Amino acid sequence: MGKTEIPPGTLYMLILRSLDRNGPMHGYGIAQHIQQMSESVLQVEEGSLYPALQRMLIKGWVKAEWGLSENNRRARFYKLTPAGRKQVTAEVAEFTRVIEAITRVIQPA
Amino acid sequence: MERLGELWRRLLFLFQGSRFNREMEEEIRFHLESKTERIRESGISADEARYAARRRFGNAAALKEKTREAWGWSGLDRLAQDVKFAVRSLSRNPAFTLIVVLTLAFGIGVNTAIFSAVNALLLNPYPFPEADRIVSVDARHISGKNGATGYQDFLDWQRQNTVFESMAITPWTGEYTLTGQGEPQRIAGGGTTADFLRVLGIHPVLGRFFTTEEDQPSAPRVAVLTYESWRKRFNADPGVLGRAMTLDGTQLTIVGVLPPGFVFPGIEACGFFTPLHGPSTLGRTQHQYGVVARLKSGISLEQAQSEMSTIARRLEQQYPATNTGWGVKVQPLRDALAEWARTPVMFLFSTVGFVLLLACVNVSGLMLARASARGKEIAIRSSLGAGRGRIVRQILTETVLLSATGGAAGILLALWLMDVLRKVAPQQYALDAGLHLSPAVLLFTLLVSLLTGIVSGFVPAWNASGAEPSSTLKNDGNAWSRSRSRNRLMSSLVAGEVALSVILLAGAGLLAKSFILAMHVDTGIRADRLLTFRLALPQAKYSSKQQAAAFYRDLMDRLRSSPGVDAAAAVSTLPMTGGMQSGAFEVEGRPKAADWVDTSVQYSRSTPGYFHAAGIPILYGRDFDAQDTDSSLPVGIVNDTLARRFFPGQDPIGQRYKDAYDGKWRTIVGVAGSVKSQQPMNPPVPGLFCPHAQSPSNWMWITLRSRGDEAELTGMARAAVQGLDPDLPLLKIRTMREVVSDSLSGTRLLMQFLAGFAVFALLLDAIGIYGIVDYSVRQRKHEMGIRVALGASYRNVIGLVLRKGALPAAVGVLLGLPVALAASGMLRALLYGISPRDLTVFAGVPVVLLIVALGASFLPARRAAKVDPIVALRCE
Repeated sequence: MGKTEIPPGTLYMLILRSLDRNGPMHGYGIAQHIQQMSESVLQVEEGSLYPALQRMLIKGWVKAEWGLSENNRRARFYKLTPAGRKQVTAEVAEFTRVIEAITRVIQPA
Repeated sequence: MERLGELWRRLLFLFQGSRFNREMEEEIRFHLESKTERIRESGISADEARYAARRRFGNAAALKEKTREAWGWSGLDRLAQDVKFAVRSLSRNPAFTLIVVLTLAFGIGVNTAIFSAVNALLLNPYPFPEADRIVSVDARHISGKNGATGYQDFLDWQRQNTVFESMAITPWTGEYTLTGQGEPQRIAGGGTTADFLRVLGIHPVLGRFFTTEEDQPSAPRVAVLTYESWRKRFNADPGVLGRAMTLDGTQLTIVGVLPPGFVFPGIEACGFFTPLHGPSTLGRTQHQYGVVARLKSGISLEQAQSEMSTIARRLEQQYPATNTGWGVKVQPLRDALAEWARTPVMFLFSTVGFVLLLACVNVSGLMLARASARGKEIAIRSSLGAGRGRIVRQILTETVLLSATGGAAGILLALWLMDVLRKVAPQQYALDAGLHLSPAVLLFTLLVSLLTGIVSGFVPAWNASGAEPSSTLKNDGNAWSRSRSRNRLMSSLVAGEVALSVILLAGAGLLAKSFILAMHVDTGIRADRLLTFRLALPQAKYSSKQQAAAFYRDLMDRLRSSPGVDAAAAVSTLPMTGGMQSGAFEVEGRPKAADWVDTSVQYSRSTPGYFHAAGIPILYGRDFDAQDTDSSLPVGIVNDTLARRFFPGQDPIGQRYKDAYDGKWRTIVGVAGSVKSQQPMNPPVPGLFCPHAQSPSNWMWITLRSRGDEAELTGMARAAVQGLDPDLPLLKIRTMREVVSDSLSGTRLLMQFLAGFAVFALLLDAIGIYGIVDYSVRQRKHEMGIRVALGASYRNVIGLVLRKGALPAAVGVLLGLPVALAASGMLRALLYGISPRDLTVFAGVPVVLLIVALGASFLPARRAAKVDPIVALRCE
């Protein structure tokens, strides 16, 4: 089974939603979470998370803090901000709307 | 709102330094290690697990870059890199850097200096409230003559107008002797009317300005000090109001102090202002003042102009004898003041543009030559992934850096130039006040430096970035053909330089020839061995005409009997100093002219022997002598211009005319040669003289013809004057030759500027031609070796190389000459005695350039001819 790439433009939404669900996580944790929740359908190129996270930092959707991981190693944790929460709600709503519309179009007659 | 937060976070990023990189490294390392462990859990070996983790992660290096770039400062990063690199690269070639910086410093510096003049003249707003409401009101005769205004007309205008809220006479400056404050000192002061400050919208910082009552001749004398003179001479004493100043023996009461930084064109030297004291003794025909006024709010320039024209017409009807043909011109103050200087300054401004362009072309050429030396380095960069744009940016960074440095150095040059201009520019240009580094001028310098950098770098950058890295790195024969094309480019640049130089050289040549012609024009007097100075008898001491007459008579006796003096005399108007006193010329027995301006002539007074002393021939009749006294027949002498104009074909001797100043009917007893009154190139005006004894004046010029060196007479003259009056200083002591030279100061200034530019242009041409010939010789060492081996003589090789230098020069000349010929028409107004298409100049310019081209090519040519063929053939 080849890797299914995530639909373009949805990476941010996926990351934000993961943070929303799970609270603060480090980059690796987010990658794990996406893979698990999608039941391994979505395989993200893990490195690409980091530029995305940086952009979200710039936009103020997440905040970053250094902390200790599960096995006591130093890792940077990302946390959703109120602005970020607002953003993910909006993006999910928009995405759902689009998907419903597509579904309506492709439904068998 | 979020944008602000974003911007803030972006800014903070800049101050992080290396922390970002370190943390990024750590984060990625953590991720990879975690992933590796995870994969190992399924039993894969450590190495394979690591490899798999990396693969899942993606290209770490590229991702790190992308992460950094997200912050949006990568452009700045690259710029910082470019600048660092440029600095290193330039400091490795100090000679090149120095030449380029100096070249650009000169080009940018002169532009800055001239721009500050343009700014002062045309752009800079005057520091007065609502300065655009201040206008100049001048009397204008329909024939175009004489814009100065008479005092009586001024009073009438003031009384009758409804469009100006205030009106005043521009300060009439004079020098006075201040006594009673320690040593007697000379101090300059301005005479004006009560509303002067109101027109400008300025208020005194202490006390008040004078009132209209104080304008009257009988009023007690008052003075208002400038801030600087209050500080300097009265130690900023606030109790200065009410104190007295003694000037030329008269006491003036100080009633006010002006604010600091008070400027107005023409009054920079003034230390105080005093009322003009209504010189009502001047007739309506005496026009000598300038007038400024402030428009009432709501009144436009056109409305004011039309009302003043109406008033002028009314005055024409009221006073037909004196006001016929006189109208009024109302214009913004700036336009009136810029009248004199506008043409020369704008001419200079366009010229310095050429100079800067020349500098840019030269620098482009030098950069091109340098680029060929850096060919390998650039090839490596581009093969490592630097795009064309990146290389262009790198080279442009270098040129901008060079021109920024040049700009900074150029400001120093500009400061010096502005200082010189302030001292040397003719008075009427009214430039002194504005010539300094205002923010506008600095901004201009910045923009020009930036533009220069981009323009200079464009050609070399484009050329360098177009190179194919492979062929350069291989160092094979292809390099030859590429350098051929670069060679052609450099030659074209040199041709362009030469073309621009032709224009500058032609301009310099024309102005120089014109100046020399003007210097040698017959001024009507013999200027050698003639010493001149001015005396101003203070009115307080010499209040009666008899005293003035007696003083000068005694002085002439003393001077004539002094050793070393061939002849001595006094005259009221010295040739070539301007200062005309005009008046109507009415001949007995002829109907009075309707328009007195047509018949206005220059009035002067002289002591006996003036014409002899000045070397002016007496053509008919006689000079004044000791018999012409106060009580004898009133007489006069006319010059031949007047004789030809008013007595064509007749003998003027014996005819009588009415003296416009004292009303006496004078008999003409002699006709003298004419002298130029203003500049040597202006034609002489009709003029007449009356004996000083019959019409004494306190202010006269003394002329001394010496047997030996005229400058040596100064001490003796001073002794003679002060023997009669110890408090009387000698003013404006100059030899007549200096007077002539000074009258041409405007022209000379222009010529000196152009000459400087021409020298600069020739220097750059020499550098440029040397550069390409040298470069070509180096490239063709191989070929030269073959030629010499095959029997080419020394002269053959030299000729070959010289042609290489002469060709672009010739092309440049051919390109530049037609442009120069076309552009020289602009100079017509500034030239005297030659046409703007003067043959000598335009023939001389190509010759000079050719000589420079050959001279610059000579050294490399010699080097080429001396090449040992074996050495040349050996190195491949």
